[in-house]
Amino acid sequence: MTDARRLGRVWGLVAEHAAARGGPISSADVCAAVIPGVQVTGAWLSAARDAQAGHLMQVTDEVSRQLAELQLTLGEGPLLDASASGGPALASDLASPESASRWPAFTPAACRAGAAAVFTFPLAVGAIRAGVLGLYRDRPGPLSDFQLGDALVFADAATMLLLDAQAGGAAGQPAGLASHRAEIDQATGMLTEQLSVSITDAFARLRAYAYASDRGLTDVARDIVARRLRLAPDRDLSPEES
Amino acid sequence: MDGQLLSETFVELTDTMVADFDVIDFLHVLTSRSAELLNVSAAGLLLADPRGELRVVAASSEAARVLELFQLQSDQGPCLECFRSGQPVAVTDLSADQRWPRFVAAAGQAGFSAVQALPMRLRDQIIGALNLFRATPGAFDADSIRVGQALADVATISLLHERSMRHSDTLNEQLQTALNSRVIIEQAKGKLAERLGIDVDQAFTILRDQARNRNQRLSDLARAFVEGTQALPGPVGSPRTSRPGTMQPLPGVRPAPPRPAPPRPGP
Repeated sequence: MTDARRLGRVWGLVAEHAAARGGPISSADVCAAVIPGVQVTGAWLSAARDAQAGHLMQVTDEVSRQLAELQLTLGEGPLLDASASGGPALASDLASPESASRWPAFTPAACRAGAAAVFTFPLAVGAIRAGVLGLYRDRPGPLSDFQLGDALVFADAATMLLLDAQAGGAAGQPAGLASHRAEIDQATGMLTEQLSVSITDAFARLRAYAYASDRGLTDVARDIVARRLRLAPDRDLSPEES
Repeated sequence: MDGQLLSETFVELTDTMVADFDVIDFLHVLTSRSAELLNVSAAGLLLADPRGELRVVAASSEAARVLELFQLQSDQGPCLECFRSGQPVAVTDLSADQRWPRFVAAAGQAGFSAVQALPMRLRDQIIGALNLFRATPGAFDADSIRVGQALADVATISLLHERSMRHSDTLNEQLQTALNSRVIIEQAKGKLAERLGIDVDQAFTILRDQARNRNQRLSDLARAFVEGTQALPGPVGSPRTSRPGTMQPLPGVRPAPPRPAPPRPGP
């Protein structure tokens, strides 16, 4: 049921932006491409590793910068909610009483900064947290179902690109995180124990191993879950060392 | 049918406006009560993701969960058909079915002989399907189908009603949170299975029982376990006992900032 057209459309926009910039695809391209992609005014991206506080990596305009910084100063807001819950925080009308009661300090400050709607998406694979993607509009209005679907896939793309950057190389191909199999998650959990590493590092090792051995991720994961394959904690099999 | 349990279930399925409402827990209640009440072997639930895919969100047993996943991966089966058409789909004897050969084979392996798929639908919006599996072939009795559809309807209305009126965004937030929680639960199953030398199904049972005993949400316990902030005891006499020395550090204790490019040093 993977929506290949949606995946192609989103990654196409990201790749186009990278090509126009003249560099390899990075999470910065997601931040720029998502603006026309889902019709928002601006975007920002903050990266985090495991449970640490994020740092701002990319902003597309001054309002985005203020929105990102406001939440850190005030200690509340959709960015922090998305990061804590593992789900998006969608505030399509900051002037509504719901927003005011949800974030009493952030909401008026965000309106003063020039935002009318804010949407934040956690960049997460289960307990693996890579950061948050924030979007804002200068007019109120929800993301349509279609735009929400695209925004989620943009967020998936940013997640994979950030995890690749953290792991020191592109270990994966453009893929939908949603078509992710349960075996991959189970294998990642198993590797935290086998290798005594964090869940983020376990996922990086799994992807690096699949890449280095030229096998599909699901295939390798299935072998790990069935205990036909163990990865050794003392050897790094990431491709850049081979 | 247990009338007392039935009325309790309807109350549970309408009690969604509470502050700590959790979609995963809610849908687990729906599948496990369906299995108990409707005289079926297992129940599974598929929900639509705004990305344009169906996802397995809850199941009353591991066999049902795996079979639901199989349908999604092979892109065929009665539950998908039900979701796409918005109409109930019944297969009273899977061994005689010609439409979905790969699904039939997988269902047989999982020990199921009959399937009843019920849409989760409100007016023209179809959000998923509740699927009932039975080990023996034969028609599902009319009462069970009626009550099953009523459970699915009430759950759908609870998820959509008022939420969608007042905050169209809330359901999407909760759904995505639930889907990510599902991933965390799988990660926790893998970690616990490896730690105790058991299979992932047994690991799920321990996680679920521990969450129940501690009166904690399954997804919260799974996250804390994966992040190393909460330990889980193993079953008595397990082949490998819990090793606290391998716990991950507490969040915030780990000093390293996000590393950009260089390859990771070996642990």
